[in-house]
Amino acid sequence: MSNSHSDTIPLHASSQSDIDEIENLINSSVQSGPATVLPARPPSPPRASIPVSSSPFIQSHIPPPPLSSSSSNQKVPSVPSAPPPPPPVGNSSSIVATGFGPPPNTLTEPVWDTVKRDLSRIVSNLKLVVFPNPYREDPGKALRDWDLWGPFFFIVFLGLTLSWSASVKKSEVFAVAFALLAAGAVILTLNVLLLGGHIIFFQSLSLLGYCLFPLDIGALICMLKDNVIVKVIVVCVTLAWSSWAAYPFMSSAVNPRRKALALYPVFLMYVSVGFLIIAID
Amino acid sequence: MDLSQPIEENYANPKTCFFHVFFKASALAFYILSALFADSFVIIFVITVVLSALDFWVVKNVSGRILVGLRWWNEINDQGESTWKFECLDQESLALINPKDSWLFWWTLYLNAACWTILGIFSLVRFQADYVLVVGVCLSLGIANIIGFTKCRKDAKKKIQAFATQTIASRVSSTIQSAFSIV
Repeated sequence: MSNSHSDTIPLHASSQSDIDEIENLINSSVQSGPATVLPARPPSPPRASIPVSSSPFIQSHIPPPPLSSSSSNQKVPSVPSAPPPPPPVGNSSSIVATGFGPPPNTLTEPVWDTVKRDLSRIVSNLKLVVFPNPYREDPGKALRDWDLWGPFFFIVFLGLTLSWSASVKKSEVFAVAFALLAAGAVILTLNVLLLGGHIIFFQSLSLLGYCLFPLDIGALICMLKDNVIVKVIVVCVTLAWSSWAAYPFMSSAVNPRRKALALYPVFLMYVSVGFLIIAID
Repeated sequence: MDLSQPIEENYANPKTCFFHVFFKASALAFYILSALFADSFVIIFVITVVLSALDFWVVKNVSGRILVGLRWWNEINDQGESTWKFECLDQESLALINPKDSWLFWWTLYLNAACWTILGIFSLVRFQADYVLVVGVCLSLGIANIIGFTKCRKDAKKKIQAFATQTIASRVSSTIQSAFSIV
């Protein structure tokens, strides 16, 4: 904070010490502040981390939001001089951010950062669940950053694809597919919980939604190619892929003797979706 | 925010307020006027639900931050338990929030949920299960936001009280110290 003294008008000695005292008070309260106000969510390990504080506040294209606590203590000493233009505030907040412990919170990040962060989270969750990767050994840790946007897109996409392939009763097909998948995911999660498993409700919903991705691909291929044999083969392959993707998460959540009880309904649901894909004409 | 200007009586963030209302209103309008737009239920469903989901995202991530300075999310900690995290701006920034903005924020949230509930009752009475599904999805998204932000606001008030008592205590102790040093 020593750079701020060059900006201020030289004052009488006693008032300068008062200002110092006020500064120290604010500094100490701000330092203890982040301990009571929760720091921002730290970037989680598996992600190619887009740092939360990537763009300083000056780049925000929305009207200047209320400044966070780290930059407000820069405002107080320089009030006797002119109100600070944005660049010094941006610089000081980035200096403060690296000097102090907690990172700037996500409350003042630009909108585009939030969008990018959410999109990258969807992609990373998809990669973790559906594709082979080293984190599958510890399933609870892998889907730590659950989100429901990916499952939402996949369910809607599957419903749309099925509805498009159907020649009659398109609306019913879509509604049935959507309701089946949504209610099915909820019921499967309840099933695991009632079997005494340790799983978090939203994490499991998120997982079951992401595991629909292979079936989405299967439905797309079946929509484009109308041959029955091709359809059966494609559905079998994608069904096996979906079940393989869901297996470690579900099985690790329950007692080993009840693994089959937890996994069988998941498999059943995916088989019924597979039949729906094959039977649509 | 420029301190030399008086606090505006109008909305401080008109663009954010507009988007906050826009998606909700368009979802409701599309659903109600759907008979004029499209015969197919699929299109009605998809567009209404997509607009509702976009509205959920906008409220949770953008307008909640900008209009009332609150944010909530869910995290899973290392023990594998889920915790709800709340974040709020500090005391000085909260005082700078335009009251008109926050009035608009809260009242459109409540009004949105009330409208969907009424539409849901209509669909139930007519035994249209498809439309009840649409209304159910949109209503659950709206209620999720209401619950999240209400919890966040209560949490913020608690934190501010704790912070204020702490600041008063430290200030009192420092003035006592300075009194003793002068003497």
